[in-house]
Amino acid sequence: MAVEQQTARPRLGVFKLTSCDGCQLTLLNCEDELLLLADKLDIVHFPEGASPGQPQGPFDLAIVEGSISTPEQADEIRQIRRCSRLLVTVGACATSGGIQALRNFADHEAYRKAIYARPEYIESLATSTAVAQHVKVDFELRGCPIDKDQLLELISAYLRGRAPAIKNESVCFECKRRGTVCVVVAADTPCLGPVTHAGCGAICPAFGRGCYGCFGPREAAATQALAAQMKTMGESEQQILRAFRLFTAASPAFEQESRRHE
Amino acid sequence: MGRPMTDSQAYELKSMPRAGLQQLFALLVAQEFRLVGPTLSDGAIVFDEIATPDDLPVGWTDRQAPGSYRLEKRPDKRAFGFVVGPHSWKKYLFPARETLHRATFDKAANLWRQSDDNAVATAFIGVRACDLAAIGIQDRVFSGGEIVDQGYSKRRRASFIVAVNCLQAGDLCFCDSMGTGPEATAGYDICLTEFDHTFLLQAGSRRGEQLLAQLPVTAAAAHERDKLTAGLAQCRGQMGRRLDTDKLPGLLFANLEHSRWDEVAQRCLACGNCTLACPTCFCYSVDEVADLGGQPAQRERSWDSCFSQQHSQINGATFQPAIKDRYRQWLTHKLASWQSQFGTSGCVGCGRCIAWCPVGIDLTEEVAAIRNNASEPLSMPAYRPAAGAGSSGPFATLFAAAEAPVVAVTAETADTATLALKMPQAYRYRPGQFNMLSLPGIGEVPISISGERQGIVEHTIRSVGKVSAALSKLQANTAVGFRGPYGSAWPLAQCRDRPVSIIAGGIGLAPLRGVIRTLAAQQRQSEHPLRLFYGARRADALLFTRELSQWRRSGLRVAVAVDRHTPGWSGNVGTVTTLLRRKDMPARGLYLVCGPEVMMLAVVRLLRQAQVPAENIYLSLERNMKCAAGHCGRCQYGPYFVCRDGPVFSYDRLQLLFGKRGF
Repeated sequence: MAVEQQTARPRLGVFKLTSCDGCQLTLLNCEDELLLLADKLDIVHFPEGASPGQPQGPFDLAIVEGSISTPEQADEIRQIRRCSRLLVTVGACATSGGIQALRNFADHEAYRKAIYARPEYIESLATSTAVAQHVKVDFELRGCPIDKDQLLELISAYLRGRAPAIKNESVCFECKRRGTVCVVVAADTPCLGPVTHAGCGAICPAFGRGCYGCFGPREAAATQALAAQMKTMGESEQQILRAFRLFTAASPAFEQESRRHE
Repeated sequence: MGRPMTDSQAYELKSMPRAGLQQLFALLVAQEFRLVGPTLSDGAIVFDEIATPDDLPVGWTDRQAPGSYRLEKRPDKRAFGFVVGPHSWKKYLFPARETLHRATFDKAANLWRQSDDNAVATAFIGVRACDLAAIGIQDRVFSGGEIVDQGYSKRRRASFIVAVNCLQAGDLCFCDSMGTGPEATAGYDICLTEFDHTFLLQAGSRRGEQLLAQLPVTAAAAHERDKLTAGLAQCRGQMGRRLDTDKLPGLLFANLEHSRWDEVAQRCLACGNCTLACPTCFCYSVDEVADLGGQPAQRERSWDSCFSQQHSQINGATFQPAIKDRYRQWLTHKLASWQSQFGTSGCVGCGRCIAWCPVGIDLTEEVAAIRNNASEPLSMPAYRPAAGAGSSGPFATLFAAAEAPVVAVTAETADTATLALKMPQAYRYRPGQFNMLSLPGIGEVPISISGERQGIVEHTIRSVGKVSAALSKLQANTAVGFRGPYGSAWPLAQCRDRPVSIIAGGIGLAPLRGVIRTLAAQQRQSEHPLRLFYGARRADALLFTRELSQWRRSGLRVAVAVDRHTPGWSGNVGTVTTLLRRKDMPARGLYLVCGPEVMMLAVVRLLRQAQVPAENIYLSLERNMKCAAGHCGRCQYGPYFVCRDGPVFSYDRLQLLFGKRGF
């Protein structure tokens, strides 16, 4: 990951698959740092931010947003991997399949026919999947959307040649560090914080609502224990299913849990 | 702490009308103290900045149960009529996030400049007895050992403590079991007891006494004293929880495989809330944070917990992968190994971990369950107090790194290099110890010292992570940050007059090289054999091959094996244990072992089978050492901190846990 030559700026490529563009927009939202970034990185391909692009590479760092939901994308991601030294996926779509992975739980064919007038023109896969299920991914940055500071940390760690200070702990850590009063304990509000990957800074609980898991499962996500607790709080099976089947529905830990409540 | 111990007997108990509280606040503000205390926010009584007694939760109380906390109105106008809330005072003394230092180098002082630590003079209003005990415990952790956390102790010295006696207990309180309350007996400047119309006041320090003298107080009447005594007794009777602490440390360590651990792991979320709400939990992580611009790199620390995977992670391996391992680590540390580490329990009986656990796990219940069908308690390692706080000279200030020039870099193998650093004149080390080496903006890692010649200290580094990779890529005439030496040493004095065997695996030869050099130089005069058994994965991973031949020539018996045969290798193939024969393992010999834990485990098993006593076997452990002072908690190993009590241990001290999964 170390940059050998300071003189030759590392070549950056930013790609989008199936997604809403919100995560790559985070890069453009780095207003104070954008000039610095452009100074340190050679932005070779970034259709949302600069044109024309050169998707053919090669890239020192590729940042990929979006899930794989068409056969075309399955090929495209292999091509990106081939011409990139380091491949980082960003956001819930790229790291878990995103909200569009709700189709994984439904009848894809029936949906296609019901929604499109000429379904034969629609070439999509029956599932929406994470990039890591198709190619080797060097780092996954979570979130829906990703957090700007985490993106900057990731890029500066890359430029500096160190491991990014990005933790895989629960959202509870962030709540406690900022002194937020636990919404589960003090207000009986259902919250996915204990099983959710940190990184957002625990925004929702700070405004009195439960975490809805947009960063996806943390490591060692004790979803069964949490679901049992939600049940004692009076949540129905349907509510528990929906809590786990949202923005990161196809992440293995959340998928397993939601299926338990079908 | 440099603070006078409280001697409440020396000061007289006073009485003050309620209105005097406003005057107390005003006097503290006049002395430029920031006031922090309990106040209502988000449905709880939290700690925050306050200005007047009106900011206190007047007329409110809290009702708590496992996993539940609710505010309720009181029938009276008491300001301290509640127990403890979600916050603890550590948020001020040991902030959740803190910049430790900026990587700017002060040439004149030859030191990396420390962050300006903004220790704001702060008066803590309403500190309960349990929380006073908790502050006392963190004092021991951060400033009671040889190495002092400068930021913590500055903030501690800048604090003024107004304690409050508890006259009512909550459903989750058990300070009475822990011997920490409900009466505040030490560690405060002024202690209040609240009644409907008056406060009783007790000074606990000279400055407390001076402040008290300016308040509208009179000597407390006999009936007021009686009311205090009765109130405390009533509070003791109300404790909602009880914890039987009898022989608890040994009991928990004797029952590490009790079925209750599996049972609690089914309920535990490993969310970390218990540790973060706990007023004594002190574990932290240290991260390099560099931004893109011209700003210098910073090192930041933040609260961490044994419930996070990264806390027990080293080079990708996790020592506590399962939730069961993490809960067991937490409870055995809090209630058991804390005693060996700091001479006190880590629990003060405040009940926060029970209330703020989203699934309401109650440690008093867990301990009671473990006491059922329990094996007999073990005897635990005794607490060894430090020689003196801040006694280890220029490195007594934690995280202050000096700079050392790199004078030579020697490639040892494809992924291993030796850095030779020119150390300051006064630098002395003993073989077995380690230094913390750092590169600004990249990170800091513990590296064992692999030898020294005329002030040039060698570090043999295998490239396994980002920092070690960057270190092994350094070239001569550069510089690295260093602090050290830290940790325990090989028992050189015991190596005289008896056979010594050194058993090393892979990079494990590096911390032993200093010992081998010393003993090899004396070998001609010795009548006892000195043996080296060395194993590596492949022939091209063997370290110090030229020196191995030199040692052979000086009379050392050297046996080498590699795990896998490669072309050109004509020596032994097999693990290092295949080199050890019964006749080479006399019971009175001394055995110095370093290598991967699985290899050391196999070696220890062989030696024990050969009747070698545990105290004749020394091992050097590698764990996730980060602060090197026994503060950050990352290298904990049962009753020990590997950085402080190790890395070299005699096996009799390790038997308790060595080879046990999940530790």
